[in-house]
Amino acid sequence: MKKALSLVLMIVLIVALAVPAASAADDTIKIGYIGDLSQSTALWGNAGKFGALEAIEEINAAGGVLDGKMLELVPMDGKGDSADSVNALRKLITDNGIVAEIGTNFSSCNIPMASVADELKVPIIGTAASNELVTIDEQGNLHPYSFRMCFLDAYIGTVVGTYATKDLGLMKGALFTINGDTNSEAVGQFIEEAYVANGGEFVAKEQCQAGDREFRAQLAKIKKANPDIIFVVMNDYAMNATFAKQAREMDIQCMLMGHDGWDSDQLAEEAQGALDGCQFVSRIGFAMPEANDFADKIVEKYGGTKETECLFGRDGVYWIADAITRAGSADPTAIRDALEATEVYEGLIGQLVMNAETHNPVMACEVFEFSTTEDGAHVKLPVKTVEAVVD
Amino acid sequence: MFLQQLITGISIGGIYALLATGYSLIYSLLDFSNWAHGEFAMLGAYFAIVFANMVGLPFMLAALLGVCGGALISFLCEKLVYRHIRSTGAPNMFLMIGAMGLSTIFQQVANLVFTGQYRSFKFKLPVSTIEIAGAYLGVLDLISLVLTAVILVFLIYLINKTKFGLNVRAIACNANAARVLGVRVDRSIASVFLLAGSLAGVAGILYGMKYNVFPTMGNIGLKAFVASVVGGLGSVPGAIVGSLLLGVLETFVSGYISSSLRDFFSFALLIVLLLVKPSGLFGVDVQDKA
Repeated sequence: MKKALSLVLMIVLIVALAVPAASAADDTIKIGYIGDLSQSTALWGNAGKFGALEAIEEINAAGGVLDGKMLELVPMDGKGDSADSVNALRKLITDNGIVAEIGTNFSSCNIPMASVADELKVPIIGTAASNELVTIDEQGNLHPYSFRMCFLDAYIGTVVGTYATKDLGLMKGALFTINGDTNSEAVGQFIEEAYVANGGEFVAKEQCQAGDREFRAQLAKIKKANPDIIFVVMNDYAMNATFAKQAREMDIQCMLMGHDGWDSDQLAEEAQGALDGCQFVSRIGFAMPEANDFADKIVEKYGGTKETECLFGRDGVYWIADAITRAGSADPTAIRDALEATEVYEGLIGQLVMNAETHNPVMACEVFEFSTTEDGAHVKLPVKTVEAVVD
Repeated sequence: MFLQQLITGISIGGIYALLATGYSLIYSLLDFSNWAHGEFAMLGAYFAIVFANMVGLPFMLAALLGVCGGALISFLCEKLVYRHIRSTGAPNMFLMIGAMGLSTIFQQVANLVFTGQYRSFKFKLPVSTIEIAGAYLGVLDLISLVLTAVILVFLIYLINKTKFGLNVRAIACNANAARVLGVRVDRSIASVFLLAGSLAGVAGILYGMKYNVFPTMGNIGLKAFVASVVGGLGSVPGAIVGSLLLGVLETFVSGYISSSLRDFFSFALLIVLLLVKPSGLFGVDVQDKA
């Protein structure tokens, strides 16, 4: 009798849990979000999540999509780790029933996630995942369900290397990258190729290890080589700030230049003015007032700092909503087709000119420069737009 | 360039030394490596961040409370975990496994409470340097070096010239004999954990001021442990020399060979020493511990 009662209770419980989920599934369209929500890069992961949440709130307030269906964000912590991110994607698709996913910002996570997306036929959109293999596999085949919203390592590297020679005329360079870091080494390689192709010469090339905080041994060698410019290709704002401070402490006063990995609001603050006059090349984003307004709103509402990732999260949701509307359906394959059919997407990170054959966007870049204001605030300001180069 | 690399190496070694001495002190008493020691540094730094940035206390007071926080956590670990494991008569391996567990728990707790985001003290020294014969030393590095030197001299005095030090050395030599002779063993061990925890707290705060505070910053303890083995586990002077040697070696390898090979050389040094002189550079035997 007891066993029978337990069985009945269990069935009731399962039905009770399943029924609301099923009815909710009819009214809402679920979009997944994967990012580092708890580890050392949670600053970006959470910023992306907040941006996506805000976008969903805006779209729902305006009536939702497909004649009143509401969107719902289902965030999951990928911890910036490839295995955790892949597991999170599987769970979101099989257990939560998402129709599309946004994130992560790491190529190391999105490369294995792309195969899962293809297998389960749900489109995913990488945010700052810039390695070529995110959308195209090693055999040169397109991952049909994997998209991205950022430029490739090759693109940003070429823009940085060319800008340093042609616009700044700094012809004696030093390159500083992280040993074993896919993004750092790849962007560094493309900076080097473009820099040398435009007449620049490298007088020093140094590396550190991921997570290092001491760069003075390498800086001593760079100082001896006396470069006009040091390309510092690291994504971690704390490492970049420490590098800049140690360089200035060692009386290395030349230009330090970075890529989009420098695009963190924390960097200017942490560097304490050591980066004044230094520049980095990134996406247009924060050169636009509407992007700044949106990011300010996110900071005010959710806390944290003003990060580009909140724009990626926001744009990802709007792009998916746009694809659902154009497809007239929330079926994952129909969304995929609509995403692929996108020619130009106007977002807060800038204008993305999409390529259906590679799923890679091309966009204009913005050069930002650090400075300290009269009241002592450390800021970055847009100084020049580099137009997009469309193949 | 040589002088610059030497100064940088000593500066790095100074931070290692504050942690390595803690490893050595505890090893000298209990014959186990306290793998949670690096986390005492991390927690001490977080205590200081909370008091300085969130509560709004003056930095020096917050730093002092941070040091006390590191000491308190270390003391509680001994009181609530290690002492109980010892009382069961379990092998020392169990203490080490317990320490590994505590290390992971502390990292996870810090992650949950503070998230993985980097934290930095609102109080900042200006980016400025002192030039010594063409080499540059940051003001914070100089302060850090002087403070470390003063603390380590005091520590050596404490171990060699005070009754507390005599008790510690007696326990290190033979705990049972010390107990028979009236030394309050558990109390002395608890005091050593307080001392080691406060040293770790100082190291954590200095590290946090120089760089940042984050949940995995205690991993620097691994290097400090290597330094204490190189110097001779159980020897405080050995731990100091080992730390300076390791700091300088790492800097010279990064500067003259390749930063990619830095850890290779550090651990190769450890292996070679274990093969050639397993007791470490200072070659301490049981009688000379601490």
